[in-house]
Amino acid sequence: MTWLTPLIAGIAAAVLIPLLVLLYFLKLRRREVEVSTTLLWKKSIQDLQANAPFQKLRRNILLLLQLLVLFAGLLAIAQPEIAAAMSEKTRHIIMIDRSASMSSVDAGDDGAEARLDVAKREALAFVEALREPGVFGLGERDEAMVISFDSSAEVLQPWTSDKARLRAAIQSIQPTDAPTLMDEAVRLSGAYAQPSLVEDVGLVSQATAPIHLWSDGRVQDARDVLLPSVTPMTFHGIGNADSINVGITALRAERDFDDPGKVSVFVGLSSTARVAQRAEVELAIDGLVAAIRPAPMSAASDEAPGAGGVVFNLDRSEGGLVRVRLTGTDALAADDVAYLALSPAKRLAVAIVSEGDLFVETALEGMALSRLVHFSPAQFERAAQSGDLAAFDVMVLVGWAPSDQLPPGRYLIFGAAPPITGIESEGERTGPFIAIDWSREHPMFRFASLDNLIISQDVGLEPREDLRVLARSDAGPIVVEATDRGVRAIVVSFEPAESNWPFDPGFVIALASAVRTLGESEGAVTSESVTPGDAVSTRVPPSVREVALREPGGATNTLLPSPDGTVTFGPVQRSGIYQLSWRGEAGATDAVVDGRVLRVIAANLLDAAETTIGAAPTLELASRRVEATTSSNDASERRRLWPWLLLAALAIVMLEWFVYNKRVQV
Amino acid sequence: MLRAPTSSRPKSIDDLLKPEFVAKLSRVDLASRKVFAGKLKGERRSKRRGESVEFADHRPYVVGDDLRFIDWNIYGRLDKLFLKMFLEEEDLSLHIVIDASASSDCGEPSKFRFMQETAAALGYIGLINYNRVSLTAIGGVGQVRTVPTRRDKEADSTKESDFESTARRAVAHGKTGETPVPPVNDNSGVVSTLRNLRGRRRVHEMGSWLCDLEPSGGTDFAEAAKRIALSRTGKGVMVVLSDFFFKEGYEQGLRYLLGRGYDVFAIQVLSPQEVTPEIGGDLRLKDIEDADLAEVTISKPLLDQYKKNLAAYCDQLRQFCARRDVIHLLAQSDMEIETLVLDVLRRRGLLR
Repeated sequence: MTWLTPLIAGIAAAVLIPLLVLLYFLKLRRREVEVSTTLLWKKSIQDLQANAPFQKLRRNILLLLQLLVLFAGLLAIAQPEIAAAMSEKTRHIIMIDRSASMSSVDAGDDGAEARLDVAKREALAFVEALREPGVFGLGERDEAMVISFDSSAEVLQPWTSDKARLRAAIQSIQPTDAPTLMDEAVRLSGAYAQPSLVEDVGLVSQATAPIHLWSDGRVQDARDVLLPSVTPMTFHGIGNADSINVGITALRAERDFDDPGKVSVFVGLSSTARVAQRAEVELAIDGLVAAIRPAPMSAASDEAPGAGGVVFNLDRSEGGLVRVRLTGTDALAADDVAYLALSPAKRLAVAIVSEGDLFVETALEGMALSRLVHFSPAQFERAAQSGDLAAFDVMVLVGWAPSDQLPPGRYLIFGAAPPITGIESEGERTGPFIAIDWSREHPMFRFASLDNLIISQDVGLEPREDLRVLARSDAGPIVVEATDRGVRAIVVSFEPAESNWPFDPGFVIALASAVRTLGESEGAVTSESVTPGDAVSTRVPPSVREVALREPGGATNTLLPSPDGTVTFGPVQRSGIYQLSWRGEAGATDAVVDGRVLRVIAANLLDAAETTIGAAPTLELASRRVEATTSSNDASERRRLWPWLLLAALAIVMLEWFVYNKRVQV
Repeated sequence: MLRAPTSSRPKSIDDLLKPEFVAKLSRVDLASRKVFAGKLKGERRSKRRGESVEFADHRPYVVGDDLRFIDWNIYGRLDKLFLKMFLEEEDLSLHIVIDASASSDCGEPSKFRFMQETAAALGYIGLINYNRVSLTAIGGVGQVRTVPTRRDKEADSTKESDFESTARRAVAHGKTGETPVPPVNDNSGVVSTLRNLRGRRRVHEMGSWLCDLEPSGGTDFAEAAKRIALSRTGKGVMVVLSDFFFKEGYEQGLRYLLGRGYDVFAIQVLSPQEVTPEIGGDLRLKDIEDADLAEVTISKPLLDQYKKNLAAYCDQLRQFCARRDVIHLLAQSDMEIETLVLDVLRRRGLLR
């Protein structure tokens, strides 16, 4: 213990204590009162003094009490300080999962509460147990921050020791239908926490704020989460590991390429039930139930959830809003419904821009397109200026790309490095190269192989890391998919003529698939679809000035498109239908109702990982394994003692008053 | 508790006794539990056989008896002389002792005023019923009488008065009789005496004597009682009005009075302020009689102890009186005088 101002206290003590004692030595100035006789009074005083125990103590108890009070005051003047690290604050990171699976109703004591509600309740209890700063700023206190995450993370409350703010932040967490990605949350917490490594004399690792995670453990990117080894993590597992849930994990509609009036709707299902069962799938178009089909589901195992699926075949050339619903109830409702905006049957309009390419043009001519126009680069530039390009679904550029900027649209580019952010060209390379790897899941290569591809010359693409490489040769990426400001493009690094690809049957298939993928992505068969947690970006005709957005909950917003017609909103939180409407020019796939153009964007969870809701008892992170603590309130409540001390002080003062009163007052 | 303001002193008997009260007093008479021999013929049964109309007994005639009282009817029947004896009706002596020490002059309402009124009422009753009424004021011990205003006036007046207030006048009178004046010593504790008043016409005399009393000094109760007892030949009812706060004790004094065969009534008068003191703080209490000082810090336990002591003191007095066949009455000075005289004293046998 150190004393900050012992001298002042000493001087004060030297003055005040003798003064106080002196006051007691002073004789009381008594008022004189005449009485008829002092006989009884004297006797009473004698009796009283004879009867009272501890007479000396009794006489001095006031002095004693006052000395005590004075002593406490003097000690306070001396400003004692305890040199312990007591005033250092302890920090906690409260991380709460708000993803779709947290909406499952299987938590709580009776299993009838939503997981997120339980998580919030436990987090609130944790906040209550935090230590608050002491009255005089001494003592330990806790600080906490609140991070909520689904597929993205959000800091709801930066560091504070204000419990009210923490409570408010936790209360404000709303469930979303987004999948669970924890990496961003952990990175965010790392950014807020103190540096875990300090370069002092050599690198010293410091313990950082512990993370308190409330989640069901269904974290899809757990393996990618790099949690510093010095960061303690407490994983409060929420939910039941054996909860049964059947959910829609895939929904796709496809028009028959030759007969666009025929639509096939594929519904993929996932189940956590340990026994094989049937699910009933209901399909409704524009609110009217069109079909109900049973879907057999396989039994779930430890490794994989049970799977099933059903296909609806419809004859429908016009567009519509398809709703697929699982009848019956289960723990998670968010994945029981999925929507699909079906566009009217339509063939693609394709523009080919080249200075004469035989193979691509020939191959395209063989496709069932509504329109195929050949532009020279100069014509293309002019069309771009006049805005005529909006009439084309896909533009295929062969051996040429604009040097400054690509007009918004969808492009298939051969043998040129387009001006897309993230795609660089290292210059012409001369082969031969052979394809060594390609993405078989991508629609472009789903039915086409690059086994025998030999490339003699290409432009040497150098895509940025986050762009998706669809195919790779021994010299580097050869097919790259890129998205940039209204531009969606598949870039092939070589011209077909510079390879043996045109002689492979796969070329035509890949070309057709690429064109259809690009074309469909905006409205060929289904309109845009997003996953909750993602932002929506769609293009409306450039003449549209104002767009109304109606969210699934019924809330409406007004959005202002950017000059090139891009409308962006989100990230969307809930699954369901997001409906854009405006007056004016309609896009190629938009419906017009009552003079307003409607465009529907479906946000569907469609995530097998979220549908598998069984709470995970452990969190397998990249760096370590975190066991779930039992979700009981293990944090004991912290009781503050200082109010009691204050009460005791009050009681002493009252006692002093009482003692005084008993002596003096009638 | 404090000395009563002198402005509230009564000027005459009319101040002491209200007319309507006087009317009520006319219907009561003194009573004595004992039958005494009186001095003069009166309206009271005496121990002596006498000449009243009430028959008492017969006794054989002896030579020298008054022939008028021979019962001739019995002589005619029995041929023997018997004397008819009648009850003698005599007066009753009422002696009122009033404590005129300084301590009596305390309280609100004043204890002394209360005593004065009580004495006036009892004296009035005695006078109108042809009893002999004597009054004695005690107190004044250790006190140079500085307020003898009335006495000086009396000395100047030519009017013959039956009462004596000073030793000087007693010496001047120097004779006994209807109004014997005992020698009054300053140390005797007896301030003034008024003796053997009789009859309704002496009421005003008694009244002015009472009104002229000025409480002062302390009390030597034992000495005063001894003097009263010695100077008093007759027997009768004695009423002692005092607060009985005598530092040297009341026992000896009461014993002296009892020894002379009085039927003693001790009326202890306390002021409300003495019963429940309404004082507080750090005080120096000064005894009004002997200037004795007591430094007290008033507190609840002290007040409780005081009340306990007061109760014990009064109880002790009561027991002392009860053992000696003295009627003890405890009255607070805020009590209605009518209630005391007409109800309480009647019930206790002093009046009938």
